[in-house]
Amino acid sequence: MSDLLKIENLIYSHSLKNILHDVNLTVSDGKIVGLLGENGAGKTTLMRLITGSAHGKGTITVAGTSKPAERKSHVSFTEHLGGLSSGMKVGKVFDFYQSVYPDFNIARSNSLIEFLDIDKNLKLSALSKGMKEKLIIALTLSRQADLYLLDEPFGGIDSMSRKKIINSILKWKPEESTMIISDHYVTEIASILDEIVVVKDKTINCHKQADEIREDNDMGIEEFYESLYEGGKQDD
Amino acid sequence: MKFDDKVPIYIQIKNYLYHQILTGTLQPGDKLPSVRQLALDVTANVNTVQRALTEMLSEDIIESQRGKGNFVTTDVDNIKQLRNKLVNEQLTLVYQELHALNLSNDEILSEMKSYMESRDEQHE
Repeated sequence: MSDLLKIENLIYSHSLKNILHDVNLTVSDGKIVGLLGENGAGKTTLMRLITGSAHGKGTITVAGTSKPAERKSHVSFTEHLGGLSSGMKVGKVFDFYQSVYPDFNIARSNSLIEFLDIDKNLKLSALSKGMKEKLIIALTLSRQADLYLLDEPFGGIDSMSRKKIINSILKWKPEESTMIISDHYVTEIASILDEIVVVKDKTINCHKQADEIREDNDMGIEEFYESLYEGGKQDD
Repeated sequence: MKFDDKVPIYIQIKNYLYHQILTGTLQPGDKLPSVRQLALDVTANVNTVQRALTEMLSEDIIESQRGKGNFVTTDVDNIKQLRNKLVNEQLTLVYQELHALNLSNDEILSEMKSYMESRDEQHE
C-alpha cells in the first residue's frame, strides 16, 4: 500500500471568503472513501481542488505528482455535463470522452453502458436525474485512472438505480485505484466504504476506518457522523 | 445482503460464509467465489471481503490454493469445531439472559421445551 493522495496545508478562499483551511489528508491506494459533510461544507470544492480545476494554497499530490496538469491525468472526475450541448446524444458524449482521454477503456465503457441500461440515442436534455447519474458513473469509470471522484452520485435517485450504481463501482473500480464518493447521507453507501472523511468547520474534522468506528464506538456510520454535529462527543 | 451498520462488516461477512458452510450451501472442498464476486454478492468492498477471508484462512475454515482461489476446508473436524463455537455463542447468550431473570437451570429447560413446542405448532 502506498499513499495515492496527499493533501498538505491546503487553504482555499473565494471572493475574500475562506472556504477551506488547514486541510491535511492522506489516502492510500485501493480504497473506497466516503467524503461526508453537510451541503455547502466544501466537499465539491475539495474535489475540484484535487483535480486542479480550482487552485488553493498548499500541496496536493496524486500518484506522486503535484503539478496540476499532470495530476489531472491521474484523476477521473466528471465534474458537470453542463459544459456539453443539451442537444448532444449520449453516444456522442462517449465518443467525445474517448477522443479526449487517452486512458479511456472502450471495453469497460461498453460493459458499463450495457449494465446500467444507458440509451445512447437519447439527448442529454431528455435524461432523467437517475439516468444522468448513471451516465456520469459510466463516463467516470470508463477511464483507467488512479483516483476516481464521484460527487453525490445518489442525489434524488430511486433505490434500484442506486443499487446498480453501487454494483458498478464494486464491479469495475480497478483494484489498485482509490475512489472518493461524497454524500451527505451515508447509510446508502456505508457497507462499501473502507474509510470516512468528514468535512466540517471548513476543514477535515475526522478521518477514520469504517469498521473501526463500528468496532470501537459500537455505533453505525450514520450515527457516528451525526454525533459529530451534536458537539463534545468526539474523541480526537 | 442486509448489514447491521453497528457491527463491523468483515464480521458479518464471516458469519454469512459460516452459515453457508454449516448449512451445506458450501460443501467441504468447494471453491469460494472470487473476492470481487463475493463483494458484489454481499455489497461490500473487496478489502473488507479480503479481511474476512484472511481471518477465515487463519482459523483453518478455508484454505487457499495458489493461483486457484479459496476452498472450504476438507477437514470436517474444523467444521465441527466451528459449529460448536457458533452454537455455544448462541447458547451462552440465552443462558446468561435467562439466568439474569433468575431462572434456574430446570426452569430454563422447561421454558425452552414449552417454547419449542409452541413454535412447532405455529409451523404446522
